[in-house]
Amino acid sequence: MNYIDSVVYLISSLIAISAFYIQGQEFIVSMIRGQSVQSVLIAVLAFIIAWEERSIDFFILGALIIVLRAFLVNYFLQKRIPKQKSYIYEGRVSLSYLFLVDLIFIVISVFILYSIAFSGIFLHSFLENSGNSSVLVFPITLFFQGLFLIASRRTTFTQIIGYVEEENSLVLFAMFLLPIPIIIEASVFLDVLALVVISSIVVLEKFTHEPVEELRG
Amino acid sequence: MATTTLVETLTQYFFVIISAPLYSGILGKLKAMVESRHGPSIFQPYYDLWKLFRKVTIIPADSGVFFKYIPYVLFGIYSLIALIIPVLIPVPIYFTASGDFLSGAILFSLAAFLKIAAAINSGSNYVTLGASRTMSFNFLSEGTLITVFIAVSLLTATNNPYTTIAFLTSYSLENLSLTHMFSTLAFFMLFLYETGKIPLESSGLQELGMIDEGLNYEYSGKLLAVAKWSAYIKQYLLGSVLLNVFLIPWGLFSTSPLFLLDIPVMLAKWMILIFIVLIVETTLAKLRLFRVMDYLAIAFTFSILFLIFVEVIQ
Repeated sequence: MNYIDSVVYLISSLIAISAFYIQGQEFIVSMIRGQSVQSVLIAVLAFIIAWEERSIDFFILGALIIVLRAFLVNYFLQKRIPKQKSYIYEGRVSLSYLFLVDLIFIVISVFILYSIAFSGIFLHSFLENSGNSSVLVFPITLFFQGLFLIASRRTTFTQIIGYVEEENSLVLFAMFLLPIPIIIEASVFLDVLALVVISSIVVLEKFTHEPVEELRG
Repeated sequence: MATTTLVETLTQYFFVIISAPLYSGILGKLKAMVESRHGPSIFQPYYDLWKLFRKVTIIPADSGVFFKYIPYVLFGIYSLIALIIPVLIPVPIYFTASGDFLSGAILFSLAAFLKIAAAINSGSNYVTLGASRTMSFNFLSEGTLITVFIAVSLLTATNNPYTTIAFLTSYSLENLSLTHMFSTLAFFMLFLYETGKIPLESSGLQELGMIDEGLNYEYSGKLLAVAKWSAYIKQYLLGSVLLNVFLIPWGLFSTSPLFLLDIPVMLAKWMILIFIVLIVETTLAKLRLFRVMDYLAIAFTFSILFLIFVEVIQ
């Protein structure tokens, strides 16, 4: 493994850690900021790929991620939090229980999915072990982590952040598949922005979703 | 050759046994200086041990055999670990072949188990409460300890810590590898827990926050001195593994008579670790007791997740 490989794997794992950080937070503001940090890390990865591949596309992508994801989505979400209530949080979050369940969920789902579907993919990547799709394990982890965040929490804010995290994972996934069609990223951005706008209204309508209440007649 | 190995073995053993209380003294002194207090001397742990050795030992009437003899067994177990893992000399010495990394971890677990068994055997309700408290946290910490050691062995495909040190000093880039970085992080978190540092445990008179200290509640005199000394040795062993295998594998000498330089090198390395712990202890607030489990769950998650990541990446 060369120097660049180590850096890419380290940043990718920091992205995975940021997902766990968001999972462990109770305060909504901290989660939104965690999502911003995650987006910045993805942007840094885009800049590294841009530098290695000498590709302007990835540079634009990194800039777009910082402007739209790290700042705009963050801004929209934070604006939804009432000014006097920046302390709002989701109570009764049992962190150790959630982490252990999360660990089991991630390990089983990610590694079964990876070994069945992704391990055979051949990547045209700048990474030294090009052709080895192992780096894809990070976006898949991020995806399932976002899914678990949505499933494990009640507040609408958290569920939106879980969705944004899933979108982040798609961007990360697309970044490792070279060459990236920029239209994918554009569509994901539109998706997220539209979602954030729509969900802002949902947040105002309904702050929490209790388990199984949607199933009642 | 055999003489050199014998001298190295004796140097390592006596250095560990004798210097172990010193680091707690230095940390205590530095912490007092940060808090604008004069603080005790850095040799205070030695004075305490000396005082306790001369005091009368009181054995509770309801206690059993375990209570009386386990402190000596613990001292023996930690002495054996001191000869197995590279805590001073970076090459194998006598007794090294009697165990590998995993056996070191299992010996730590055995010591923890025996300590709890002895505490329960004291017949005191308060100590049993402390034992149940320790058990409710230890199921995560022992798991992390073993997983971290497995993660380290993955680097070199061997369970021999000496090979790991040689590998990490030869290939410095491997210190940046995922498995190494995250097992270091998990082990550092574990080190803070196992040695009862501030975000997890506040030793002293605040018995509400006691975890490990609660187990020593019924001990007194000589038995308490041996138990405390064992705890200092345990802290030294864990800290030295953290320094030599995870954080700073460089700087140790193995040839005779240069291995004597390992003593100031280890002291210097420990000063770095003490400085890091000092920052953590003086900047973080103590976690509430039930948050300790969250902290350990995070360490466990790190160790397991990155173990599996590395398996996929390799």
